[in-house]
Amino acid sequence: MIRAENVVKNYTNGKTVASVLKGVSLEIGQGELAVILGASGSGKSTLLSVLSGLEPADGGTVTVFGEELTAMTEKERTDFRKRTVGFVFQQYFLLPHLTVEGNVKLGANLAGNRDYMREIAAVGLEEKRGRRPAELSGGEQQRVSIARALAKEPRALFLDEPTGALDEETGRNVLDHLLRLQKERGFTAVMVTHNPAVAELGDTVIRMNSGKIAETYRNTAKKSAYEIGW
Amino acid sequence: MTVGLKDGLKLLGIAVMSGCAVFVCTFFLNFYLDALAVRDAVSADLMPLYEAQLLTAKLVCAISGGCLLAVSVVLLAFYVKLYVDAHARQLGLLKAMGYSDLRIAVGFWVFGSSVLVGCAVGFGGGYAVSPLIYDAMGDGGLPEIPLTFHGELLALLVLLPAAAFSALAVLAALLRLRPSALSLMRGREAISGGGRAGSSDRPFLRELRAATLKSKKSLVFFVAFASFCFASMMQMSFSMRDYANEIMGAIIFCIGIVLAGTALILAFTSLAAANARTVAVMKAHGYTLAECGRAVLGGYRIPAYCGFAVGTAYQYGLMKLMIDTIFRDMPDVPAYRFETVVFLIVLAVFAVLFELAMGYFTLRMGKTSARVFAAE
Repeated sequence: MIRAENVVKNYTNGKTVASVLKGVSLEIGQGELAVILGASGSGKSTLLSVLSGLEPADGGTVTVFGEELTAMTEKERTDFRKRTVGFVFQQYFLLPHLTVEGNVKLGANLAGNRDYMREIAAVGLEEKRGRRPAELSGGEQQRVSIARALAKEPRALFLDEPTGALDEETGRNVLDHLLRLQKERGFTAVMVTHNPAVAELGDTVIRMNSGKIAETYRNTAKKSAYEIGW
Repeated sequence: MTVGLKDGLKLLGIAVMSGCAVFVCTFFLNFYLDALAVRDAVSADLMPLYEAQLLTAKLVCAISGGCLLAVSVVLLAFYVKLYVDAHARQLGLLKAMGYSDLRIAVGFWVFGSSVLVGCAVGFGGGYAVSPLIYDAMGDGGLPEIPLTFHGELLALLVLLPAAAFSALAVLAALLRLRPSALSLMRGREAISGGGRAGSSDRPFLRELRAATLKSKKSLVFFVAFASFCFASMMQMSFSMRDYANEIMGAIIFCIGIVLAGTALILAFTSLAAANARTVAVMKAHGYTLAECGRAVLGGYRIPAYCGFAVGTAYQYGLMKLMIDTIFRDMPDVPAYRFETVVFLIVLAVFAVLFELAMGYFTLRMGKTSARVFAAE
């Protein structure tokens, strides 16, 4: 379970302090897909960074699978991310000089996962495993990024606008891959999006506004990636 | 439009290199021109010393000036490449909008401003220390050589290099802007990834180290080149103590340290800038900073030590040639031999500095989170 209580996060720029998270509390159950929904600047990506241990909170507590991130040092958080977390970023962040296989190995190596070809096959890129990111389409690059994250065999997958840079058809395709893999493997997924339609995929939807949670609700009628609007 | 004056002035490394080159050339060329004017006053028994001093001035000018000029040209081309790579998207966009390569490249003339600043400071400094050099070069009974200002040297050593480097920057930019607008917008690094790569059974971190080196060949060259400069300049500075007086030795030693340090700092700064994103991604996934440093920077050790070895051989050859040419007719001048102790000291200093720099720049790269790149 992922639990946040009264989480505060500020960013300082010179003398200006911007309060990005203003006392956020939430709970995400194990094996759930939680969608954090909000407009640009609402604090959703910052919340994702804090929940995943990418950045420390300035106040409050964050507990992920019984481990309190807010009590950890930077080194401990790195170790936590290594053992527990997978990331998918909007800009993919693939290493341009590595092949598809090399990029997926970046994740697999951390978990000692020698069966990383399974992840490449799972996202349908077996035949392109020797290609470099520049030779792939945006959707393919995002699928590599998902394979890289899953090759770590994470207990929790954090996705920051994974379809933000993709067209509708490619976006649906990527989400479909993701949902199928989540169902098969049962990992917890937390996805940030500004697209309300994507929220219809989640078990739990957390809507953010100006650094606070405006609304949290359970989705009673989850839809597939091909059923949602866009 | 494309490059601001601030970008040009940021090229501190080129300013330092060109400044040092002009510093050395100013007092030696000035001495050479002024010494020619007193040739008739030199007695026959002092003529060999007089000729040796003239030859010293000419050779040191040619070698120091020539070497540092070559270093500055390499640095400038490297900076232009880095700038184009870092701003490939914006430059590609300008091309897509219809700006010609030449029109974009012309904006790179400001890169020559760093040379103007460096040369002006070097010229001023060189002229200021000239009386000391004249005293030192006049040791041994040569007639007094009055210090004269030569306007042509100002044009030759300050204005001409600045103009030439501005033109060179434009030319280098033109070459780097050759790919299509779309290719530039997609990112040069991605395009120049190399040929198709097959499956590899190597451990991941070793594979990453090899791929990083292969994809950033210019950085490999730059690191080797910086190490080359360090080895040659430091050893040369030590070796000169038997052949130059105290003041000259001190000047050469200081210049050697400044240049060697500048070259190494520039190399590491470029390495850190080029690999920061890779480290941020690795860190986000849970790699420790030490693993990131080893994978990303560790591969540059071999080229660095290769550069050091070549630099050592180069300085030996150059010193031998110089000493044998200049002092062949002079009595009591010791023959030049390879100095093992100096070599070992410089190697030890290099190894310590290199490892310290690796540690520092790994820490510096680790400070940037993937969130920063996501926000770009």
